[in-house]
Amino acid sequence: MNKFHLLQFHALLQREILEHRNMFIMAPAILAGLILLFSVWAMTRMGQDTVSISIEYMALLFDGLSPLEMAPIFMIPAIPFIGIFYFCAIIYLMNSLYQDRQELSILFWQSMPVSNLNTVLSKLVTIGMVAPLFYIATMFALYVIALFWLAILGWSYDIEVAGLGYMFLAAVASLIFVYLSIVTTALWLLPTIGWVVLFSAFAKRTPILWAIGVFILVGFLEEFIFGTQFLGNFVQSRSTPTQYLILDFQDIVERLINYDMLFGILVGSILLAGAVYMRRFID
Amino acid sequence: MSNIIEARALTKSYGSLKALAGVDLTIPTGAISGLIGPNGAGKTTALKALIGLCDVEGELSVAGMDPRTARHKLMEDVCFIADVSILPKWFKVSQLIDYVEGVHPKFDRIKTEEFLSATDIPANKRIKELSKGMVTQLHLALVMAIDVKLLVLDEPTLGLDIIYRKEFYDRLLNDYYDGDRTIVISTHQVEEIEALLTHLNFINNGEIALSAMMTDLADIYTEVVVDPEQIAQADALNPIHIRELLGKKSYTFESVPKAQLQPLGEIYTPSVADLFVAKMKDSRHE
Repeated sequence: MNKFHLLQFHALLQREILEHRNMFIMAPAILAGLILLFSVWAMTRMGQDTVSISIEYMALLFDGLSPLEMAPIFMIPAIPFIGIFYFCAIIYLMNSLYQDRQELSILFWQSMPVSNLNTVLSKLVTIGMVAPLFYIATMFALYVIALFWLAILGWSYDIEVAGLGYMFLAAVASLIFVYLSIVTTALWLLPTIGWVVLFSAFAKRTPILWAIGVFILVGFLEEFIFGTQFLGNFVQSRSTPTQYLILDFQDIVERLINYDMLFGILVGSILLAGAVYMRRFID
Repeated sequence: MSNIIEARALTKSYGSLKALAGVDLTIPTGAISGLIGPNGAGKTTALKALIGLCDVEGELSVAGMDPRTARHKLMEDVCFIADVSILPKWFKVSQLIDYVEGVHPKFDRIKTEEFLSATDIPANKRIKELSKGMVTQLHLALVMAIDVKLLVLDEPTLGLDIIYRKEFYDRLLNDYYDGDRTIVISTHQVEEIEALLTHLNFINNGEIALSAMMTDLADIYTEVVVDPEQIAQADALNPIHIRELLGKKSYTFESVPKAQLQPLGEIYTPSVADLFVAKMKDSRHE
């Protein structure tokens, strides 16, 4: 891959972010704004005593913990962000190779010297690696505001807020864990992503119905013909929420390098290769 | 002169409908070639096949490559403007230029900005806020700044008013065409491009009904406003088309020596539009 190809891939990623700025930039920003508004509203309804007790309880909770040990607690506020992100990711993947065919802009995209492989790869990298960064950046801004606010509260109520530096480090560590969790999830769910993208490339309308409908049909046929439930078990084996969370750097190696993960990546890659093939012709 | 496009026996079906039924098409490098045909004749399918957007059977070579297997490589040497507003509507003009600059190795940003500076298109507007004429101007400004061997235009001025249409072709001829580049144009507005063309191809029912150099048309086709007393002789020479013209009959002949036609009445070289009508009706009767 030479310098031009890197620049070209950068342009493809930039296109994805610009096209989906509402999902990747506006959605987390609005969520952060709502959380801030709610927090301000809640604080105005709490008396000084309640605030003091809360801060002291927090100090007690974190007492003696290192930033890495505190990090999982700091991941809790990230849950609504992760929820919104996954919701947006499903919509994004469903439309990834469908929407431009619908609005005919595919004729423009295909008139550029960009391979279908790079187009599909750019969409995967966008949703698995780039878009989460915008969510992480928003959460980081939210944590910084929260810690700054905590410091001001402590100062104005004359309460000693201990360990602000540790809390900041814990917040940063938690965001790294959130990011790594999302990237690992993308790899873990690559078969699902591949399936959705395949039908996004194939369906003439309502790709979500195609993706779900064909899956149910194939699962039914499998059980009817072979009397097995491999497909159902395969999906079930990948649907436990704890599988997606990285709470320790040790976890990453275990999650990434194991037979199940590699098998999933293989299945996902085959489905994505199908999507690249389907993308070849637009009629 | 080498050929930039060589197609042999191209076929494409949509269910029972044959969009291309054995198209043979050869376009030499440096030509401005028209692909003219009625609705549903197979023009768009043929043009999409040329740039690898449509799977066809048969032999096909464009700029030395097979578009079916090397589309993205081919698109470094080929540009395409389609008959519908296909620029992504959510892009701002400046973002679109950034994108093309990012993905196309032969794009010259300065040229596009120069072209656009002569228009009313603001860089900070989204495509969806531009009129159809402006979108076409923008697309042309992008394409003209890409140094390619072949430009494929599929009804590029459809839906535009006459000012935009005239400006489009003027710029294409004066600012873009240099004699080395090849342009393939498909359009309904035959009269507007007649003066530009060096080669002419008629397509009907998925087949090429005529393929000739513009300079050869006058030698091959003759229109005669036949004197009433010469009607029988004219009929005997197998005209490809007969039409009423101000109370007289006008006959179009193919490959009949002019000396033989001269005694029948006033002779002309048919316009592309008249020839188009004649050939379309002729091919319907075959």
